[in-house]
Amino acid sequence: MSKTKVAVIFGSRSAEHDVSIVTAIASIIKPLELSAIYEPVPVYIDKQGRWFSHPRLKDIALYTTGQIDDFLSKQKPLLLQMGGGMKITWPGIKPKSVKLGAVFPATHGTHGEDGELAGTLEMANVPYVGCDMPSSVIAMDKALAKTIASYEGIPTPKYVWFYSRDFMGDNDSVLTKLSGLTYPLFVKPVHLGSSIAISKVNSAKELINAIEVAAHYDDKIIVEEAINNLIEVTVPIMGNASPKAALVEQPILNSDNVFDFESKYIRQGKKGGAKSSESAQGYSKLPADLPKELYAAAEELAIKTYKAIGCSGIARVDLLIDSKTKKVYFNEINPMPGSLYAHNWKKSGLSNLKLAENLIDLALERFKAKQKLTTTFKTTYLKQY
Amino acid sequence: MKVIVDNLAVNYELKGKGKVVLLLHGWADNHQTFSRLISYLSSKYAVVALDLPGFGESETPRQAWNLDNYADFIASFLTKLSIENIYAIIGHSNGGALAIRGLSRGVLKADKLVLLASAGVRNSQPLKRVITKSVAKAGKVTTFWLPKSTRQSLRSKLYGTVGSDMLVVPELSKTFKLTVAQDVQADAAKLKLPTLIINADNDPAIPAKDGERFHYLIKHSKLKMLNGNDHFIHHQYANTINQEISEFLSQ
Repeated sequence: MSKTKVAVIFGSRSAEHDVSIVTAIASIIKPLELSAIYEPVPVYIDKQGRWFSHPRLKDIALYTTGQIDDFLSKQKPLLLQMGGGMKITWPGIKPKSVKLGAVFPATHGTHGEDGELAGTLEMANVPYVGCDMPSSVIAMDKALAKTIASYEGIPTPKYVWFYSRDFMGDNDSVLTKLSGLTYPLFVKPVHLGSSIAISKVNSAKELINAIEVAAHYDDKIIVEEAINNLIEVTVPIMGNASPKAALVEQPILNSDNVFDFESKYIRQGKKGGAKSSESAQGYSKLPADLPKELYAAAEELAIKTYKAIGCSGIARVDLLIDSKTKKVYFNEINPMPGSLYAHNWKKSGLSNLKLAENLIDLALERFKAKQKLTTTFKTTYLKQY
Repeated sequence: MKVIVDNLAVNYELKGKGKVVLLLHGWADNHQTFSRLISYLSSKYAVVALDLPGFGESETPRQAWNLDNYADFIASFLTKLSIENIYAIIGHSNGGALAIRGLSRGVLKADKLVLLASAGVRNSQPLKRVITKSVAKAGKVTTFWLPKSTRQSLRSKLYGTVGSDMLVVPELSKTFKLTVAQDVQADAAKLKLPTLIINADNDPAIPAKDGERFHYLIKHSKLKMLNGNDHFIHHQYANTINQEISEFLSQ
């Protein structure tokens, strides 16, 4: 029996383009090459937004050595055909086409994880891994996610959000809105992941500078109170109707109590730098060092949040814990966790291959369930014309 | 920490309290080059170190910049952080040339200056410079058919072979040409502030006699010549450098 072709889509026009390359190749394509049922097809979206597919795009060295631009200059972008599934075509004198059995999006941040890719795949009517468009849109807007979580009774730190144009136009009214918050505060662009452009501030002067930085990257900004006696944990979750949590993980924070881009992807949690070959576990305590009840409370709140946002497939919920009051708060949710948090799933007993295969199975399950929904509604509306 | 200056996101570190000491790194380097110096000095001073635009985690200028553009930018950066008075500027390599030019133009003001293997004597070895330019140009012409990455690595090697620390950063090649074209000897001669100059006698990138030249040009300067062959003297001789600077700043 021939294997089901699964397009692994990665890269795209995003600040997290490079993180996506690692997620796709290390955590999805390489494990799936060992699969007896699925065959990965690499689909790379370059920084200009062009789609390419070629076996060499599975080789991480192509990107790390900077040869990718030269390589792509000799390739023709893919043609996409949508409707009744998704077909990719390699143009040329003898064009070659492949019908995809499923798609595995592995993009992070803008033009992908934010719901744009899920929406495209939904239109194409192809099974795809991970959160659908509405839940991705909500998850990728920190303000919207917090608003919905709060509505569902999930505790979050006190926050205020605003559009950057409002701050640039009349910063007094925005600052008045923010005056109800107590320092220290975190300033974040609402749509960016990987802790890009997040600042912790202790004064009004720092606050203005930090808002300018966030506004440099995003048009919507959230400012929120810091949690005292902070323990930050993150919980990877997988599933459709009955989601299950992996291990509650405790990242190592930087000196500003931020699990920032550098801590996540560059230092990998080690003080003074670490080689990229070191394992991802290097930057966290796995499982988190929490009392039993607090551990269970974190797990429970993470699953509740996953459901409230409407996630399916996979996501990772970040929580903040006040270790004195033992109160757990929702911080943010990531619809496509970097490297799928494969190291955590592995420690939970799921191999990289099994993780990727299970996620595709979940995509097929959701697709099948959706096909049962009625998408037509019989009316006599047109008859009146 | 980041801040927006002239519409560029700039990464910087501010550590310690007291009089302000500003650190300026060299070409193709970033502020972390000074990590040991920052730890050492921040117990007594407010140490400010930034990634200059185009380097480290700071955004790249939209046009090619020369030393004057960089100095103007640093002035704007300091205003943004509400820093009015600089006690001392410490510049390594091209950061030294930048400090000299900024101070001479009055864009930057400080009570003291420290030059670590400072660049800025652009004609000290005319033959070597000619070779550098010729080899680099030859490299450009004869390697145009190679893949871009191989070309860059080869050109970097060519620059390295002829003894320049100023590796070619592709997107900054015009800025590189503009900054290395600026000789700051006339600027150094205008400086009147107490200056500590530290060089290594066998520095492969900045000849020892460049340090002697600055010592000759800057009236109130003191020259410390180390025995060594590393351009990054603040790494290899960190303890000596830290102590020399600390002593000089406390005088």
